[in-house]
Amino acid sequence: MAQAELDTRTWVNRNPPQPGRKAPPSEVGVVGWLRANLFSSLGNTLLTLLTAVALYYLVSNLLRWGAQAAWEPVWANRKLMAVGGYPAERLMQPMVVLMLLSLLFGLSAGRWGELMRNLAIGLGVIFAVWMVIPAGSWVQTRMGICLALLVLGALVGSRVAIADRLLTLAWVIFIPIALIMLHGGVTLLGIEWYPWGAGVPSNLYGGLLLTSLLTVLGITLSFPIGVALALGRRSELPAIKYFCIAYIELIRGVPLISLLFMAMVVLPLFLPAGMTNPAGVTRAVVAITLFSAAYLAETVRGGLQAVPRGQYEAADAVGLGGWQKLRLIVLPQALRAVIPAIVGQFIGLFKDTSLVALVGLSDFLNVSRSILVQPAWSQIPGGITHEVYLSVAAVYLIFSFGMSWASRRLETRLGVGQR
Amino acid sequence: MSHPSLTAQPKATIPFYRDTRMIALISQVIFVLLLVLVIAFFYNNVREGLRANGRTFSWNFLRQTAGFAIAEGPTFLPSDTYARAFFTGAVNTLRVAVVGIVLATILGLLIGIARLSTNWLLRTLAGVYIEIIRNTPALVQLFFWYFAVILTLPDIRDAATVGDLAIISNRGVELTWPLITEAGWGLSWWLWGALVAAILAGYGQQQWRLRQGKLGGGFGTGLLTFLLVALIGFGVTWVTAQLPEQITYELRRGDRGTLYVDVNGNGQFDNGIDRPMRHVPVTLLTEDGTELATTRTDNNGGFVFFELGEERGTSLTWREPAPVVISQPELQGFNIRGGLSISPEYAGILLGLVLYTAAFIAEIVRAGINAVNNGQWEASRALGLSTGETLRMIVLPQALRVAIPPLTSQYLNLTKNSSLALAVGYPDLFSISQTILNQSGAELQVFLMLMATYLSFSLITSAFTNWYNRRVALVER
Repeated sequence: MAQAELDTRTWVNRNPPQPGRKAPPSEVGVVGWLRANLFSSLGNTLLTLLTAVALYYLVSNLLRWGAQAAWEPVWANRKLMAVGGYPAERLMQPMVVLMLLSLLFGLSAGRWGELMRNLAIGLGVIFAVWMVIPAGSWVQTRMGICLALLVLGALVGSRVAIADRLLTLAWVIFIPIALIMLHGGVTLLGIEWYPWGAGVPSNLYGGLLLTSLLTVLGITLSFPIGVALALGRRSELPAIKYFCIAYIELIRGVPLISLLFMAMVVLPLFLPAGMTNPAGVTRAVVAITLFSAAYLAETVRGGLQAVPRGQYEAADAVGLGGWQKLRLIVLPQALRAVIPAIVGQFIGLFKDTSLVALVGLSDFLNVSRSILVQPAWSQIPGGITHEVYLSVAAVYLIFSFGMSWASRRLETRLGVGQR
Repeated sequence: MSHPSLTAQPKATIPFYRDTRMIALISQVIFVLLLVLVIAFFYNNVREGLRANGRTFSWNFLRQTAGFAIAEGPTFLPSDTYARAFFTGAVNTLRVAVVGIVLATILGLLIGIARLSTNWLLRTLAGVYIEIIRNTPALVQLFFWYFAVILTLPDIRDAATVGDLAIISNRGVELTWPLITEAGWGLSWWLWGALVAAILAGYGQQQWRLRQGKLGGGFGTGLLTFLLVALIGFGVTWVTAQLPEQITYELRRGDRGTLYVDVNGNGQFDNGIDRPMRHVPVTLLTEDGTELATTRTDNNGGFVFFELGEERGTSLTWREPAPVVISQPELQGFNIRGGLSISPEYAGILLGLVLYTAAFIAEIVRAGINAVNNGQWEASRALGLSTGETLRMIVLPQALRVAIPPLTSQYLNLTKNSSLALAVGYPDLFSISQTILNQSGAELQVFLMLMATYLSFSLITSAFTNWYNRRVALVER
């Protein structure tokens, strides 16, 4: 048998491996890449040429326009776009908030890495840019301080083992501190504390400051509500379950703008007779929070569903009570799984806050629109609508894209969607 | 008698506050009580607030006269009621939503496929488009398209033209468009009939094929049936159509007026009662019967003769038009006549929403196609199916299963985002509601109606999604 013969004979390879031939130059390197990606077939070549011509016209026209466009109005209004009508002599207050934020970001980046590090890098780049471009020595030095704090925080965070709990606590108390700093004081339990003169009313907040404030408050306040709604929707108690379903579907079924208008127009009706009408910013925060909570609830529900059944059973088996099971086993896993989705929602909310422009708040979009009607620029031929709207879009783009880039890097690392 | 261990054991005394059933019951009762308290608190505040302002909660305002005009959508006059204004707004929202969904789907499909192209340049370009669009607010984009692009288009005198197909200016877009004329009003019934026949034929064909064990659906048959019935309808309308007997006209200043059917016979045109004659060719005559000029009536039966010079006419004749005319827009003075007119507001909201939603749809398309396992392509090739057949019968059905739920959610988003029309002044449901609310002062009622309408849109859509999902879901044991 052939099998037996093969076993008895010594096998000699009469064709020893030749040294491999080099790949033809048309398949590797730049040429190979071009062939594979742009000119693989006749149709593909045609497509490439057509696209290239279209792209050339688009880009060259855009550049030509950009070179002669009137960017002066946008540049001259950079303070307005940053903080709106916030009094110029009190600008140190938001700056201190920014410095605290930098420090916290630095510490978290050093301690936690991942998403925080990516976000901190983005923030650092923005600080560095503003430190270099001649926007006035006041801003430049402050930006330098922010950058220094960010780096310092990162260094400290990566070397000193700060307890997770402590850092989380710092983030939680950062928000009320930031609000107090922005207002320039606080009235608590009858004690008035206004070290820098009268408080700055919230209707003076504006620009990017207001946009960020609405986003951060919206997502932070809606977080506990969203988690509660998500848990409630999975509850076995019908009264709670159907209430949560009704709330979530009702809010998700209507546009945010209708909730904002409702907060502006109808909310006063719901308040007791003697109560003063809350400020516009407060009302917008209420609407945004109620809106965001419904969407967050669905995101968190996804995370809850991703926790395997065995985890619940194991928690029951080791004798954890309902609350402990939730706090120690279920929520940590569920929330970790939806971090990218929550970042995505944060970005969405950041963009959606632009809707407050329609109810008359001076957010980033609205203050930028106010540049259009400043008399100083009325003589510019062709108007400045293109310049202003493109600048606004660019700023939103930088922030949103930066955040989604940071989150996407995290997703790749966590392998979300690849398992 | 029985063994002591088989008699009833002494009941384990679980205190009621540790009995899970009791806890569940009590916590629900407490929850409901709290909810009722909160609602009662707000209800009371609203009642007190309304009483303090001397107002009552009633729906009577719906029957009041609106007193404002709506520029778009179904004919609406200031003398119509608030209820009708609300309805007009809803129709306008659907006009944006339906057209927007169709266009966004087509564009999104193209961009999604471009995103998967083997051509690096095209793929990257599609990616850049998607990132830019998805990372800027819809409202900013809308403002940009409306204020920075559409309103800065050339004036109507130097409007841009796209061949004979369209005139584009800062007053919007005028398209060359087939219009059903007065002689063809029966045709619209034929078209609806054709649609029903097409659906029935397509469905029948599909079922028949299914029973025969053959592949493929009934789309082709449906399309053919539609075209056939529509063609027969066109022929029948062409032959049998007649203009009504009692047509009269109003001629003002010798060069303009209205052609209409005098329904109430009082010899003058009453809007809403008399029926205007649409798209009928009319000729202006002098007293001695010479023809001065010819034009066509517009959508409201109106006509104006522009090229008259000094002469004026005294009487009018008209001819029976074809059931359908291809109406081409033309510049007459500072106006454009004929064609299908798209207002700058409608163009703005449509452009903004379509470009915005298309980016999201493109990502869904990409994810859907990527979700189909590569082995499916290979298996299908191994069976000898061509690329087209593989796409049609293997890949797309599976990709759709993944893509349909997020796709409907995008459609719903587009419908909800159409409320941004407020920003550009397009009279959609939301902006008309704002006007109603400001005029009538019935904030609560208007908001309830608004929420209910948007909610019903979304409930209908999600009901459809659920039905479709059940149909295409994998059947697992």
